[in-house]
This record gives sequence, structure tokens and C-alpha cells, in this order.
Amino acid sequence: MIVEGAYRFPAKREVIWELLLDPAVIAKTMPGTTEMVKVTHEKYAGKLRIGIGAITAAEFEVTVVLADVVPPERYTMLIDGQGKFGFTRGSALVELVADGAPGGESTQLHFRADMQVGGKIAGAGQRLLDSVGKLLTKQGLDALSREVNARLGSRGGGA
Amino acid sequence: MKGKPKPRARTAPPHAPEPAGAEHRWLGKSVPRLEDRKLLTGRALFTDDVDLPGMLHAALLRSDEAHARIKRIDASAARTREGVVAVYTAADLGDYWKPGPHLVPPPPVEGLVFHSCTQVPLAKDKVRHAGEALALVVAESRYIAEDALEDITVELEPLGAVTDLEAALEATSPLVHEQLGGNVAAKARQTKGDYAKAAARAHTIVRRRFRYDRGAAAAIENRGVVAQWDAKAEELTIWDTTQAPIPIRNGLAAMLGLRESQVRVVAPFIGGGFGPKIMMFYPEEVLVPWAAMRIGRPVKWIEDRRENFYATTQERLQIHDAEIAVAADGRILGVRDEFLFDTGAYDPYGLTIPINSQCTLLGCYRVPNYDSTFTAVFTNRPIVTPVRGAGRQHGVFVMERLLDLAARELKLDRVEIRRRNFLAPDDFPHDHGILFQDFRPLTYDSGRYAEAMDMAAQLIGYEQFVNEVQPGLRKAGRHVGLGIVSYIEGTGIGPYEGARVTIEPSGTVRVATGVGTQGQGHFTTFAQLVSDVLGMDPSKVQVITGDTREFGWGTGTFASRGAVVAGNAVYAAAQLVRKKVLDLASEALGAPRQALVLECGSVHVAGEPRRTVRLGDLALKANPLRGGVSPGTEPGLEATAYFGPERGNAANGVHAMIVEVDPETCQAAIRRYVVVHDCGTVINPMVVEAQVQGGVAAGIGNAFYEQLVWDENGQLLNASFMDYLLPTALDVPAVEMAHTVTPSPLNPLGTKGVGEAGAIPTAAAFAQAVEDALQGRVEITEAPLSPGRLFELIGDGWPVAGSGEDP
Repeated sequence: MIVEGAYRFPAKREVIWELLLDPAVIAKTMPGTTEMVKVTHEKYAGKLRIGIGAITAAEFEVTVVLADVVPPERYTMLIDGQGKFGFTRGSALVELVADGAPGGESTQLHFRADMQVGGKIAGAGQRLLDSVGKLLTKQGLDALSREVNARLGSRGGGA
Repeated sequence: MKGKPKPRARTAPPHAPEPAGAEHRWLGKSVPRLEDRKLLTGRALFTDDVDLPGMLHAALLRSDEAHARIKRIDASAARTREGVVAVYTAADLGDYWKPGPHLVPPPPVEGLVFHSCTQVPLAKDKVRHAGEALALVVAESRYIAEDALEDITVELEPLGAVTDLEAALEATSPLVHEQLGGNVAAKARQTKGDYAKAAARAHTIVRRRFRYDRGAAAAIENRGVVAQWDAKAEELTIWDTTQAPIPIRNGLAAMLGLRESQVRVVAPFIGGGFGPKIMMFYPEEVLVPWAAMRIGRPVKWIEDRRENFYATTQERLQIHDAEIAVAADGRILGVRDEFLFDTGAYDPYGLTIPINSQCTLLGCYRVPNYDSTFTAVFTNRPIVTPVRGAGRQHGVFVMERLLDLAARELKLDRVEIRRRNFLAPDDFPHDHGILFQDFRPLTYDSGRYAEAMDMAAQLIGYEQFVNEVQPGLRKAGRHVGLGIVSYIEGTGIGPYEGARVTIEPSGTVRVATGVGTQGQGHFTTFAQLVSDVLGMDPSKVQVITGDTREFGWGTGTFASRGAVVAGNAVYAAAQLVRKKVLDLASEALGAPRQALVLECGSVHVAGEPRRTVRLGDLALKANPLRGGVSPGTEPGLEATAYFGPERGNAANGVHAMIVEVDPETCQAAIRRYVVVHDCGTVINPMVVEAQVQGGVAAGIGNAFYEQLVWDENGQLLNASFMDYLLPTALDVPAVEMAHTVTPSPLNPLGTKGVGEAGAIPTAAAFAQAVEDALQGRVEITEAPLSPGRLFELIGDGWPVAGSGEDP
């Protein structure tokens, strides 16, 4: 399953970069995340709880390892989720592009995730996976945007 | 089946069998099914009804991965859960862990390549398909067992999954079985004549690639096993939803170190078999009895529907690259076919399916030159074994599509091209020059193919439809098409079955046979056979099937062979009993045997109804408790007989349907469905027609609804009836049926099988009808279709002529 998209944030690239790698932000913005901690410099671990079709509360133990990290331009997330309802794994490439003039105030985020889903969740929820994947992604990005605005607001900055 | 008139054009059998001295009072009559009262009032015993004191419940942990190395399994937490009695992984099985038996050896085809890799009870080093069993939990309840599955930690290292048949054969492919060095499970070539020569002088050659997929058997009852070890009697009883209780008994006795006589396998009422319930020695079948013996308490396992999608065998994809060489007049000069066959992760059932495809392709036709090669491929999908049709439909699809395409090229009528190629009634026996699944030459015994085609064409109103009805419908903007195809069903193969018939002092007759029964009506049809011979009402005949304690010789119910092989054994045993009855009655009534009449459960002297004796009284007399008997006398009115045919026989038929396609939704509705079928002597027309109707439902599912969808990682994407669509009663029309009756010379009754007939040619007829409905704007070379797939196929052809959007 491929999920891809783009999103524009009203902030500098460095600010977005910092937020994206903050486990507290990830926990708040990744839909269904119930826990997220930074285990090592480039490894996060947490729990995810989502519902797809007939499976109302699939819980996954998730680890995310960052690879090919080029601050503040891009990184790849290697995602591995294991649960009683199956597994999900894959990789997601995240790229940040500064818009406009150098030091411009807006950042374009591009992402492309190639995810594999297996087990019960694949067998029973596949029909809905694509749309659920898109919905969750949109929810996540909207939440991230709110977080950006909140942080910028508290710093006295603005978009 | 009531809505439409049911024409019945039964013609007299040319050499109908004569039950010795008896009239056909019951043979050929639609006797209402004797088992239905039990079934309909909820008094039939199914495996899940078995409830024993102290019984435990089992659940299995199954792999989420399709192909992975097992790094670690830790069941310690599960073992400490309250209510869990035992947890077994492969490591806990000790010597009991070994790959399952190789069930069906490949036929002795020259130059055959065959690699046997049979399934294991629990995966040990590696898992080879999603759903493969990793651990067995036995607990006080199924709830506890299921919860305990979640306590087990499994670490799997994914290996790339093998899912595409062609990619599987490339050197870079991951290997399902590393020791083979490749994913080829088997390769076999069968030839007849010289195809290249035939092709060289052909007027036209049509060449296409065909894909034919098949789905789950989806029996209404899933699998189940209950096992009880009686330590005092040292006897193991197993209730099992198997189609082959005797081979299961024999195999399990050997595995468990018991004598066959210590093991009793009961296959009670079963809610549909359709193939996958054959003697598979499924992990659960092997593990549940073992666990029951070890623990010393009865253990039950009942498969749930989701498990059934992964753990029960299925049937699947074949890709055919086929060509037909025809003369200008449409005569077939030869056929060449090369196909790939997905055998799944293991191949315990050998080559039955691809051999069936290879043989059935030849159909009702004279094919002087044939060159067919198949390669069976291991993939990371569940095991493939026969499902109703067992590869026959793949062969029929390829041949019938080739004939349709050839007819179009030659501007010949599709019925006419078939007529020109049918084997004639005096061509039998016809040797096709290749081997069938029973290792015998594929030699047809009898058939009247052109007559069946004519009857079907007449019933569906072929000429009128093509010339009058369809043009009118097209003018009105409707897309209605007709499909008409013929097929052969190789049935009634050996090796043998047996039966014991006993007249009891109560006057009732017991018939015990070894085949299992899954809804075929055996309790009625076998009773009818006995009734005719012994002169009594079928309701007085009690048939017992599927209990190894009652009858311990035989193989099972498969390949549409029950009525042929077991039926003839029952018939033979009844005749032996009849002889005993006549001998004893002749003595008792003081009349010569030829003067005796068996009627209404008694024997009387012809013309002297008062000189009579009841069969029950004769049975008592045949079992004297005092006095003497002459040497050699056998007690009772009982006999056992066996029947094994020389080879399988060839049932045949024609299916025709009218289909309307909605160009907006690409939904296809079957408006009429006609079947002309020939299964030789018909024991019970109602049972035959029900088999055909049910088969057609399965065939329609295979044509337009049912498909197991796998992703490239070996994950099944529609493992529920929400997404795996079965046709409903609204999608399946009442089949209008007619019969030709060409008895088989290969058995005394003249019967041929009918179990799979309805399911075999459906997709081929459907494809032709849909093409016809869409006026040839699409070419259909695949099955199953779906509205979505049809939409894709129409593609640029959209909108089709005559639809509302057309200018």
C-alpha cells in the first residue's frame, strides 16, 4: 500500500524538522498513538491503537527507526508494527522543502510511505485499508499543523 | 427449482442393467431424501454436536507472515494462564513431528518431474504460507484457548514471498523449499500424435493466454475434530469432518503407534465437503487425537470461518498458453497447451488437479494431435487440493474459449463448430492416448454428445434467440447474450469401495459402506438400490456411512464416485443377500426359487400370496440358536461385496445460459440456465438435479463472484464473507434440466458421477454469453470476472453500442 502526499506549513524548515522528530509531537499527531518514546537517537518505540472495519481496536507495538537523516532536508522512517491482529511494516520518506526566498516562512512537506499489512488486519480490513490510510494521514497532518501553529504562537512567532 | 417448467427428455438406455429378478420399482424414482427429516429437525449429529464429559478445547496460533524464518517461539506465558492445560509447539512434539503423508502419487507419465513436499503438523524452522499453524493450545474452554494464543510470543524474520507463478521460476526468486533449488513442484508432458505437423497444415491457428482462478470451497460447515482416548479399552475415537474416514483411521493409527482396530473414525453428518475435506491429515487432524491421548481427556477443535480461509485447502490459478489448429471447415487438427499451476506451499495431493485439467481439455471432441505440458509451482499460499471440479473447469474453459475464437475467425456458428468435432456414439470406447488421474488411459466409455448439444440448443431456443430475440433486444438498447458449451466430467474412478447389507430380524435392512457422506443423498440413493433388489420400501433401509467401526475397507468420497463405486458395491452386496433369501425361503416355503417373489419386505410364492414369509423371520431362521446346520452354512442374511471399476467413466453435458449485462454497472444477471446432463443410469432424478443445481451455484460463484485475492506479499486480502462473495439465491437461477441417459458399460448399474458436473463448464458458458451480450467488444480469456474487472476489460470499448450513451 502506497500512501503519499504533500502539505504546506507556515513555518521555517528548521522549526518543522524539530517538531517532526519530537516524540511528544509524534504521539500527539500520529492518530491512534497511545505512547511514544525516544529509545535512542534514531529509534522511537510506542503503541498504536486503530480500528479498521470489523477490527475495532487493533493494537500495535511500533518501532520507528530513522535512516538516511539529512537535517533539515529529509529522512526515512523504517516502521515496524506488530500486534495480535497482524503486522504492518514499511518505510516512509519524508522531505522538507523550504519555499520562497532563503529563510522563507513556509515549508513544503512531501512524504511517500510504502506499507505492507499482514495477518487478520489484512484479511478482514483490506477493503478499507486504503481509505483508512488516507484518512489517518490527513488527520495526522492536520494535527501536526495545529501543533505548529500552537508552538509558533507560544513563541510569539506567527504565520 | 419450481418456477419454470422442467422438460425431461429421458431416452431409454440402450443396455439398461437388470437387477436379478427384480423390477425397477425404486431405481430411477425421485424418492424424497430419507435423511432430510433428521437434518431439517436438527437431529442430525455434526462434529460440533459431540460434547463429552471433561472435554477440552483447542485453538491454533497461525502465522501472520506468508514466508518467514522462525527465530523464536515463547509459549511460557500462555502455559501459566489459568485454564490452559497444554501448549504445544513443533519443539514439543518430539518424534511425533514429521511431515505428513504423501497422499496421491503422481501418475506414471514418461519423463515426469515430481518433488514431494508435504505439510508439517506445526511449522518448525520456517513458515510457508499465511495461516500456517505454529502452536496448539488446549484449554478448559475455547475462550481461554483463544486468549492464550495472544500470550505466545513469536519472532519471525520475513523472507520474500513467492506469489507470482512466472517470477517464481526465475533464478532470483526466493525459494519455498530451499532443498529443491527452485520452485518447480512438478512438470509433466503428455502428447498424442504430432501437433507441429498438424499445425503446419492448419487453415487457422488461434493462440491465447488464459488465466483461470478458483476460490475457496466455502462449505457451510467448517472443519472440526473431536478425539477421545479410552484408556481402559485402549481405544481412540475420532469424530472428524472428513470425506475419507478409513484412510484417516489407517494413517492416524500408524502415526500414533496403535493398531487400526484401536482407532475408530466417525465422519458424522457433514455440511458439505467439496474436496478439501478429503484425507488431508491436516495439522488439527493429526494433533487433536495426539493431544487427547497425552492429556487423557477428550479434545475438540472446530475451525472458525476466518481460519477456514487460511487453513483449509483451496484451488487456484492456472495460466495457460494454448493454441488450437483448425481446418477451414472447423475440424480440430490439434491443440497445444503449456500451463503453470499454483500448487501452494506443499503438494501432498500430487498432480490430480493439473492432470484433470490436461485431460478434461479434450472435452467431447476428436482431437487427433495434442501436446500438453504443465509446470506445477510452489508458492507461499495455502495448499491446493481439489475443489469441486478439481481442475476440470480449467481445461474446459481453455478448450471452449479456443473453439469460440476459432468459430469467430472461421465465421462459423459456435454450435456448429462443436457439432463438427463431437465424438460420435459409435466412436466408443475412445482412447485419447494420454493418462487420466487414475493412472489409466483416458478412454471414454460412452456418450451421445451431439444429441446433448441439440437438446440444450433446443431448450434454450438457440436459433430463435440468435435470429429473432437478440436483434430485438439490441435495438431496445439491451445487452443480452447467450453462452452454450459442452464438457466431459471424468468420474467414478477406482480403486474400490465396499458395502455390507444385513437383513435384521426386525425386517429392516442395514447397509454399511465406507464412504463418507456430505449431503449427497447417499442415505436415499443407496437405500433405493437395496430396495429394488430385496423388494422393500426404501424407508426400511438404514444406511450407515462414514463410521470405520461399521465398515473398514474403502477410500472415500471424491471424484464424483459415490454412486458409481460405492453404489455398485451396495448393489452387489444386496444381490448376494437376495440369493441367501431365495435359498432360505425356497426351503421354508417348499417352492422353487424361480417361483418366489420378493415384495413389501416378504417373500411369497408367485400367484399364492398366502404362501409367504417375512424377511425378518427368515433372518431369525438364518441364525439358529440350537440344532445343527449343514457344513458351510453362513449365519444371517448378510453379505459384503466390493466393486472396483476397470477405469473411470466419462459423464458429459451441455450448459447454456442467457446473460444480461448492465452497461452502467457492469453487473451481469443470468436470466436462464439450461443443463442437459448425462450421468448414465439415474438412481434418483431429484438427487441428480439437486447436485447439478448446487454445482451450477458453485460454478456461477467461480464465474463472477468468488475469488481469493492475494497481495504480492502472500497476504489474503478478503478472508471473510464480507469481501469474499458467494452467489446468493438471487444470483442463481433455477436450472432447467434435461437428461440423456447413456449407461456406462464399466459397471453393472451403468451409473456415472454427477457431483461436480454443475460446476465445471459454468465460467466458459458465462464468458461466451458476456462476450455475446457485449457484441464482441470484449474478449474474455480469464475467470472469474467481476463487475469491476468487466469494466476494465470493456475499457476503450466503452460505451458499448446500443447503450443509452451511444449516439
